[in-house]
Amino acid sequence: MDRPVIRNLRLFLDGALLSYIALFRWLRPAAYLASKIIMPLNQILFFTLLGMYATGRDNASFYIIGNALQLTAVSGIYGVTMSVGGDRWDGTLPYLFGTPANRAALFLGRAFFHILDGMLGVVLGFFWGIVLLGLDMSGTPLPVLGLIILVTTLSTTGLGLLMGCLSLITRNIMFINNTVYFLLLIFSGANIPLETLPEWMQRFSSILPLTRGIAAARAIIGGQPFADIKPLLLGEMAITFAYASLGYALFRWFEFQAKKRGTLEAI
Amino acid sequence: MNLERLRSNLRVIGYAFVMTLKQNVIDGFIIFTILIQPLIIALLALWMMDDRAASHAIFIVVGSGLTGLWSSLLFISGNSINVERWIGTLEFMVAMPTPITTIIFGKNLAHVTQSLASMLLSYALAGILFQLDLSIARPGLFLVSLLFTIIAFVAFGLIIAPIFVMNPGVRGWQNAMEFPVYILSGFLFPIALLPGWTTPASYILAPYWAARALHGASSGEATPASILLYLAILIAFSSLYVLISRWLFKVMLHKTRVDATLGLQ
Repeated sequence: MDRPVIRNLRLFLDGALLSYIALFRWLRPAAYLASKIIMPLNQILFFTLLGMYATGRDNASFYIIGNALQLTAVSGIYGVTMSVGGDRWDGTLPYLFGTPANRAALFLGRAFFHILDGMLGVVLGFFWGIVLLGLDMSGTPLPVLGLIILVTTLSTTGLGLLMGCLSLITRNIMFINNTVYFLLLIFSGANIPLETLPEWMQRFSSILPLTRGIAAARAIIGGQPFADIKPLLLGEMAITFAYASLGYALFRWFEFQAKKRGTLEAI
Repeated sequence: MNLERLRSNLRVIGYAFVMTLKQNVIDGFIIFTILIQPLIIALLALWMMDDRAASHAIFIVVGSGLTGLWSSLLFISGNSINVERWIGTLEFMVAMPTPITTIIFGKNLAHVTQSLASMLLSYALAGILFQLDLSIARPGLFLVSLLFTIIAFVAFGLIIAPIFVMNPGVRGWQNAMEFPVYILSGFLFPIALLPGWTTPASYILAPYWAARALHGASSGEATPASILLYLAILIAFSSLYVLISRWLFKVMLHKTRVDATLGLQ
């Protein structure tokens, strides 16, 4: 391996670790527990109970699976956005724009630990679903489910990278984050069968992360073979690439503008 | 309390109320909490109910509005003292002759009152967009229930604000406290869906009795006598909250002045 590759790899991993630690430096373990373990449990319980009330107890697994997968958006959207945007709030963005470091390694590194964290969140979601709500996963091929969780987490992280760039130019990113997160509860099909939505909403759902991942998880837990969900996973990967590329392009554009105007800030 | 003092306190409450409303209309987080989130929850519930949405429309409107009330209480009223600390005005509030409780009461009243917008918006959504029947079976009792709900929520806000400011660790649990109250209070589904051992937890929550009164009055499923009983329990809880909040504010002010740590950190 030549030296630039090693250098960029180190930059990627160091940046990933430091931005993650920086994000949670102000949190106590209790706060992490509340946000990443208890809150997701509450969310699964609330929407599953609402779904059971609306459509009957037999449909509980529909809501458990949908909301367990949706949890990846907690890390993918909030975590990644705050890691990318943290450079602006902490005043390190001008230094970042001034450094000769590889931009792709820097940018993508911001998401790395949130991918692991997001996957852990989904696994916990399924754990709560099995233990508290009786989700039956006895016939589920776990490696395939693991692959679905990974691919879905990557796609929400792609959206998070794009939104992280938006956090460099807006003061109201939490408003946008919250709205997107809650809209995903509708549009991803986590709580509503997509075929019951109006056609324009179904079309919009198809360009969002999570939609195909949730459908794939339901299919594999429902006993369908891997071949049936392969197109869904490929679609989810394409969405990851599209959102992450758009985010990176925006990041470079903001950098270009910052240097051109001499502000060394995105706005 | 003499008349002059009463008039002065009412004026302070009025100013705190108006100032808080003015500040809140441009705050993205508050707009999300009282408008966007309850609206999305109402939409979700309406779609999830599908064929049953027509018969449950007013239940969903009231329930989603209550989620807005609770979230607003938890995140906005809960931080009504913390905000003063963050912007550096807490020191003045503690030192001035006007009681801090009066100011916080005015602020919480504004937070809770504006949260009713979530119910109005859900009402408009279900009525206009979904064309659902939203008639209220017992309008008089519904309005009285709404009034007592506001009082109970403001009183609850007077408890959590000093708790959050004195215990930053507890504030860290805010995110985890939102959905449990939605669940235990039966905002959008009956608590009969929950295991029996959770029922006592519902009974000690004022939002549960508020939901019982509002759902009962709007759907007409509860008798007037039952609704009055729920309101009596709500009043009892509100009185208890006010008593506890008086003690909490006393502790907070003592800690602030004696420890001379006006930042309370």
